Amino acid sequence: MTRKKVKLAYITNDSARKATFKKRKKGLMKKVSELSTLCDVKACAIIYSPYDSQPEVWPSTFGVQEVVSLFNQMPEMEQSKKMVNQDSFLRQRIAKANEQLKKQRKDNREKEVNQVMFQSLGAGKISLQHLNLMDLNDLGWVIDQKLEEIHKKLDDILNNKDKKGIKTNNSQAITRPSSSASASVEHAQQQIGQMPSFDVNMEKMQRQQWFIDMMNPEEHMGFGGDDMMMPFGDNHHNALWSNGFFPLNWNF
Amino acid sequence: MPRTSKGRQKLSMVKIENESNRQVTFSKRRAGLFKKASELSTLCGAESAIIVFSPGKKVFSYGHPSVEAIFDRYLTGNIPPTSGTFQLIEAHRHVRVHELNLKLTQVLNQLEAEKKQGEELDKIRRASQNQCWWEQPIDTLDRTQLELMKVSLEELRNKVANQAEKLLFQTSNPSQILPSTSTIKAPPFDSKYNGFNTNTKPYGYNHGFGSGFC
Repeated sequence: MTRKKVKLAYITNDSARKATFKKRKKGLMKKVSELSTLCDVKACAIIYSPYDSQPEVWPSTFGVQEVVSLFNQMPEMEQSKKMVNQDSFLRQRIAKANEQLKKQRKDNREKEVNQVMFQSLGAGKISLQHLNLMDLNDLGWVIDQKLEEIHKKLDDILNNKDKKGIKTNNSQAITRPSSSASASVEHAQQQIGQMPSFDVNMEKMQRQQWFIDMMNPEEHMGFGGDDMMMPFGDNHHNALWSNGFFPLNWNF
Repeated sequence: MPRTSKGRQKLSMVKIENESNRQVTFSKRRAGLFKKASELSTLCGAESAIIVFSPGKKVFSYGHPSVEAIFDRYLTGNIPPTSGTFQLIEAHRHVRVHELNLKLTQVLNQLEAEKKQGEELDKIRRASQNQCWWEQPIDTLDRTQLELMKVSLEELRNKVANQAEKLLFQTSNPSQILPSTSTIKAPPFDSKYNGFNTNTKPYGYNHGFGSGFC
């Protein structure tokens, strides 16, 4: 069975058309039969060949009669509600395909914008120059989405729903105001909980300073080996935050 | 993207017991059946009719040139007329159907292209996830990482806002500000970050920049 894509147009070659007709008619009958059996429903098919005045039918002459009369017993509206011909059927298919296309495009767009966001995080100085307003808008939206996710996760951690959270004490990498060096989890939680407003400015600034420093790889922070800071011109997003610098399993 | 269905299963030809599965199968197979019938008509010029009752007792029917015409022909044995007018009508219909088929093919091709692009994007994402911890799912990050990300993102958001403001107030060349709306086909995706498809549809999200531009 060939899997070449068939062009949806009348087959002009007579013998090819005849062969195709024979195969496809057979396949069609099979499909009707399967549908009827699998779903336990009544069905019938009438196919006229261009080569024969007598139609081929499924399931049988009697079967067709039965189904057709059942059909005729239905109220007119019910009959026509789901009735299609080639014209309307094709229009339906086009509409559905357009819907799917729209959705796929939207999904792809979202993926792209997310990519830009992640890459911007990595190399820091990625230029936003080439983005137009629409891009910027979408980027902003995606950033907000991510921030929302993060806030939620942080909240979960604060509420102790998550074991990963509390590892705050005496980190080498992050200097904290003395008050949070306390061992008590409760206190630490309180600190974190009030993070946005209370006396964290210093901490936040320190962190931000650290970030900014990170984004200027000329300044060596002395946290790790020389191989970690990649040259600034490197456009790969893993330039700064590569594994060597940010080991995933920190021990504080 | 996780698998949403079981894929192709070998099916035994008996009634499907599970009612929900039966309904889903009916839906899909009915659509496929009509599609096959439609193709038969297009490819070979065959005239046909199919009637199917649904598990929910609704009736679906397909007919070419129409269900009524086929019934009529079948029940009365009348071959359709070959009058001049009739032929003209038929000719028109053929043209219309032909155009619809072309349009359908076009949209399906576009859909396939977009799907491929989606897969490419997934591939890229997976690759960069291996290298950048901040691309991992939020659930896998620890507090410190989350805090870091938060600050970075906020900073980035500011940059974005500033840049947008800058663009908004550019009066020298308005045509550069407004995104192009004319193109329908997306250009091939540039996998480096400086290729942005600016013609694809936006979310319609208003980031507080003002009502006008999305």
